[in-house]
Amino acid sequence: MSDKIETVKKLFTSKSSRVETNKGDTYYQDLFEKCEARLNEMRAQTPANRLDFSDLLEENGIDRREFMKWASATTAMLMLPPMFTPLVADAAVMMNRAPVVWLELQDCAGNSEALLRADGPKIDEIVLDIISLEFHETLMAPSGFQAEKQLDEAMEHFKGKYLLFVEGSIPMGMDGQYGTIGAAGETFHDHLLRCSENAAAVIAVGACATFGGVPAASPNPTGAVGVMDVVKNKPIINIPACPANPANMVGVVLHYVLTGQVPELDSLLRPKFAFGYRIHDNCERRAHFDAGEYVEEWGDKGAQNNFCLYKMGCKGPMTFNNCSIVRYNEAVNWPIGVGRGCIGCSEPDFWDKYAYERPMADAKIKAPTGGVEKTVDEFGLGMLTAAGIGIAIHAAASAVAGKRENSGESHE
Amino acid sequence: MKQGYKQVKRMTTAMRIMHWANAIGMIGAIATGLYIAHPYYQTFMADDAVDKYVMAWNRYGHFMVAIIFDITSVLIAYLYFFSRFEKPYKKLIPNAHNIAEFKAVLVNLLTLNRKKEFDSSHSDSFNTVYFTIFHLLLIWMLLTGLQMYVQGLESGISSIGAWWPWLLHLTTDWTIAVTGGTNMDVRMAHHTSMWLIICWVVFHVYYQVWRTIFWKEADIAIVVSGSKFVKDDTLN
Repeated sequence: MSDKIETVKKLFTSKSSRVETNKGDTYYQDLFEKCEARLNEMRAQTPANRLDFSDLLEENGIDRREFMKWASATTAMLMLPPMFTPLVADAAVMMNRAPVVWLELQDCAGNSEALLRADGPKIDEIVLDIISLEFHETLMAPSGFQAEKQLDEAMEHFKGKYLLFVEGSIPMGMDGQYGTIGAAGETFHDHLLRCSENAAAVIAVGACATFGGVPAASPNPTGAVGVMDVVKNKPIINIPACPANPANMVGVVLHYVLTGQVPELDSLLRPKFAFGYRIHDNCERRAHFDAGEYVEEWGDKGAQNNFCLYKMGCKGPMTFNNCSIVRYNEAVNWPIGVGRGCIGCSEPDFWDKYAYERPMADAKIKAPTGGVEKTVDEFGLGMLTAAGIGIAIHAAASAVAGKRENSGESHE
Repeated sequence: MKQGYKQVKRMTTAMRIMHWANAIGMIGAIATGLYIAHPYYQTFMADDAVDKYVMAWNRYGHFMVAIIFDITSVLIAYLYFFSRFEKPYKKLIPNAHNIAEFKAVLVNLLTLNRKKEFDSSHSDSFNTVYFTIFHLLLIWMLLTGLQMYVQGLESGISSIGAWWPWLLHLTTDWTIAVTGGTNMDVRMAHHTSMWLIICWVVFHVYYQVWRTIFWKEADIAIVVSGSKFVKDDTLN
């Protein structure tokens, strides 16, 4: 009973998705002073690694002017006023003071791939290069006992200070035996709990780590769940999408370095600066949506003219993400830009409920009983047919019975 | 007037206006709603720009109808409890009389009018329950619809002030959790409920016509003239 009361309370008090873009001068002045003090404090600390950001930029042929352009764009993305730009630039330089432990669980390494972006790294990726990545199973040279030793040392050395990035879902079925790691065969579940215990915050990146993603899609054979279903009593930040946008990962780490706090989150624990707006509302093809101009099939005249992809199943209208603004690969392009619809990868249950590439009314969905898959319209028409048949039978029977009654009356 | 019958008033003018506003609005809501869910006709590429705002006009029509439903819903909810004519909530209380009446009307329907053991001069419990199901469905449509609507007001501001999105979040955010946890579930629930309402309407129209034919009390006239005719026992 008390459980139910709690659930109801939670329902009505859950944080709404409202995005406050301007919190007033006093707020930002206070925040500015806090951030400045924190950055000064960090400057005094010894970097966790020897990578120098300015050197790295130079090596990749990025000049100061380009870097400052990036800093002001990132400031805007974090929904901070322009006066924060120098602080954001400073924070980026001091990212090598942010120890990060990266766990890879049940996933495809797509987020690591996005993080590396080995082919022609841009500033976002360079910033991620210099974070002090203390442990990353896929990237590090050591393996087996050596790797585990490194993890233990990192967790001991940066106790309570490191950011734990988690990529991939946690299989809970069969006592977690669907996924084990290390020589001791530790389950992903135990591994995650052990590593999150002394973390400053846990950052779940990608659809799998946040909401279970593809491994959790129906029928979810491994019983996959997201980090927030398993880790309790820790600040958790979800950066969903498939893969998570490096710009948003940088944003969260920068925010942490800058303010020492997690950014403002929505009810799904996603940072509002990135997931506060629908794709639809900032989509370059929105005008075609309102005009009723849709791509009817791949490669038709509409597709050639960049019409709206709604009828091809674009889920921009129900998906909160900033990829229509920041795009991917340093704003080179994004799904709708290349002419295919959004599949809602930053929303929970996206594989079952969003990614079917046709409008919702035509999507095959499971009956609440888990039975036959039908579209909503097929189900509705079925109901209507049943009602029609019932009415027809009743009407016919009434007509016959009514006649009998009449003939009975005539005998009176 | 037919010999031996008396006229009884069943719906006030206001009630009839609301009924037809709802009925016509429902046709508009379904026509535009089906387009929004899956645009079933195309715009002509060669049309003038001013004629090409098809999805936007459909959405506009859908929202205008929704506002009409908002208003009729509030009025009907008020009348359920405070009407000076007939207070429908009295027919919803599950007391012995209402349960007996509900059963009697259901028996009348199932026995094809062979048995008619209740007073049909006033609004009966069965019909009132059936109407209430409709009003609950309509409120459900409003809540899920407004939840989808507020998803486009991310900034927290609107042309009528910040209170509007705030109010919508407060009153409709729970529909996400109740329907299954995602924005898509709200849409599917909204779309499925449309079919429930269509089924409701089909039976409603059939039942009122059926009553008119078999009861011979001109029930269909209630929603037009406001009154029907019942046998006047005082004359016999």
